[in-house]
Amino acid sequence: MISSPFLPTKATIRSMIPLAPDNYLFQLQLSDASMRNCRPGQFIELWVPGVGECPISVCSGSVDGMMELCIRQVGRVTTALFQKQEGDWIGLRGPYGEGFPLDEYKGKDLVLIAGGLGVAPIRSLWQYILDNRDDFGKLIIIYGMRHSIDLLFRAEFKILMRRRDIEVYIAAEEIEGPALPPVSLQLGRVTDMLRLAPIDDNFQAAICGPPVMYKYVIKELEEKGLTHQSIWLSLERHMKCGVGKCGHCFVGGQFTCRKGPVFRLSDLEFLPEVIECS
Amino acid sequence: MERFYCFSKDKFLDFFKALESFGTVQAPVRVTDQSFAFRAVKEPKEIAFEALRTILPPKKFFYPGRETLVSWQGNEVKDHQPEIQKQVLFGVHPCDLAGLGIMDTIFSAEPQDNHYLLRREATIVVGLSCMPDKHCFCKSMGTDTPDSSAYDIFLTDIGEEYFIEIKTPRAYALFENDQLLLKPITEEHREKYKDFWLKRSEAFQIGFASDNLRATMDMEWDNPVWEELGNRCLSCGNCVPVCPTCYCFDVIDVASLHEDGGERIREWDACQFTGFAKVAGDFNFRPGPVDRLKFWYRHKLHGFEDPHGMPTCVGCGRCTVSCPSGIDDIVGTVLRLQAKVEEEPKKGPANDK
Repeated sequence: MISSPFLPTKATIRSMIPLAPDNYLFQLQLSDASMRNCRPGQFIELWVPGVGECPISVCSGSVDGMMELCIRQVGRVTTALFQKQEGDWIGLRGPYGEGFPLDEYKGKDLVLIAGGLGVAPIRSLWQYILDNRDDFGKLIIIYGMRHSIDLLFRAEFKILMRRRDIEVYIAAEEIEGPALPPVSLQLGRVTDMLRLAPIDDNFQAAICGPPVMYKYVIKELEEKGLTHQSIWLSLERHMKCGVGKCGHCFVGGQFTCRKGPVFRLSDLEFLPEVIECS
Repeated sequence: MERFYCFSKDKFLDFFKALESFGTVQAPVRVTDQSFAFRAVKEPKEIAFEALRTILPPKKFFYPGRETLVSWQGNEVKDHQPEIQKQVLFGVHPCDLAGLGIMDTIFSAEPQDNHYLLRREATIVVGLSCMPDKHCFCKSMGTDTPDSSAYDIFLTDIGEEYFIEIKTPRAYALFENDQLLLKPITEEHREKYKDFWLKRSEAFQIGFASDNLRATMDMEWDNPVWEELGNRCLSCGNCVPVCPTCYCFDVIDVASLHEDGGERIREWDACQFTGFAKVAGDFNFRPGPVDRLKFWYRHKLHGFEDPHGMPTCVGCGRCTVSCPSGIDDIVGTVLRLQAKVEEEPKKGPANDK
């Protein structure tokens, strides 16, 4: 008997930590080892029984008995999830997709670029890199958001900013509301930070953000001398099945859930509908 | 190894009984003046032998419009196993056999789809030859010869008799009790059989050259034809359920109203619906009917790079006849796009050789 790829495993909500308005970090206690080999950039299908599933990026650098997901309350499933309490169970399937190319990144200088909630998969990547710091070269993190009040992982960034082996640039388009604990950030966009950062053509870039952000970021990176071979994008699509069947996440001719969500930019060229959307 | 026999059309009842010994016979029946549907039949006289295209293709028997995948009750979540019944699918034409072959490839790719494969294994498929009408263009798509991976038995109408090809041992077993039904073929049968397929090949009324189909789809992505057709699209999604190879689906939860439990259900979805490519934050990658129509045409005629890379149109003409706006005239559209290639030979990389 073939086991169903649609059967979720159970996970218990260990804690729900508020990060910003409408954004929680969920710490989940896993019931089995199915997520153990999860890599930065992969995603899971999160199931709230009676409501439905949605694809969520894995947010923690290593997954053992516990997994972290940074979730914004934005749709039906996430709204139902936010009504759960610590100790309740939910379903998980995965991990799915190809994450960031860790082998390719080894020994190289890296710039990680996040826009808004796109910081969630980027966090899994920097946590992995910091766990294996000697394997990688220079590390620059660039993170932008619309309002400063939406800054995620405020406390973690404070710690990152004190480290000498990372450079962190944070920008908000509008400064708004209390910023506790305070983190030094600048008024502007991700692209402004990119111009400031000491990036040269030896860098590899990992990008995750809202679909509209990509073309501007790519342009800046091109000006810094990066080729499309060294730019990697995590694409936003609605992966409904996660196993390359349902068709919702087609990009050009690829299933985002199988070949992605992280793609090398040079592999996406000439494919229609990849980055542009409205 | 295929085995060839023949049997007289007046013996069809015996043939039918042999099929029935395996399971329920599903065959095309006439449902209105103009339309046919695959339905369970009890006797041969219900079968519409003249049917060319049924409203829905045979995929509905293996991949139903709606089915339960997972169920839960309180804390217990379990895999839902489909109820499988043995059946015989009679009267499947070459285009639909090609469609089944494509669906088989997709659903048997890892991770295998248990529900589809179990139903497929429990079904004997009996193909039937046909003569093309003014909407048939399987010859252009290369799907006009029966896909031998998709059928167990194939019948070719050679006048007073059927020429029968038996491919699987389980199909051969159906006739073991009735040794008198199947007759050995003679030289005359061979000639009639060959003639039939030649005549059929010459009977196509429409079509296009498909050698540069992939190149055409790539190079004509910005052709104004798409704008014109797309602006007439109603986004009704008719073209999708009627297509033998459209397999996209949605998975939804249906919670029980009176207890803590429910089911996760898979149902057919269509890339022509507005929200199909929508993501969080209300971004839509294919917001307009033009984008969605192009996407559908691309999947059908060009095929995707991943995972199987094949064009998925089988030339059955169902979309053409079911489109209320007349924009799914695949043959017409391809001819227009191909004419464009010839008009501007110096522009595109397709001509850089």
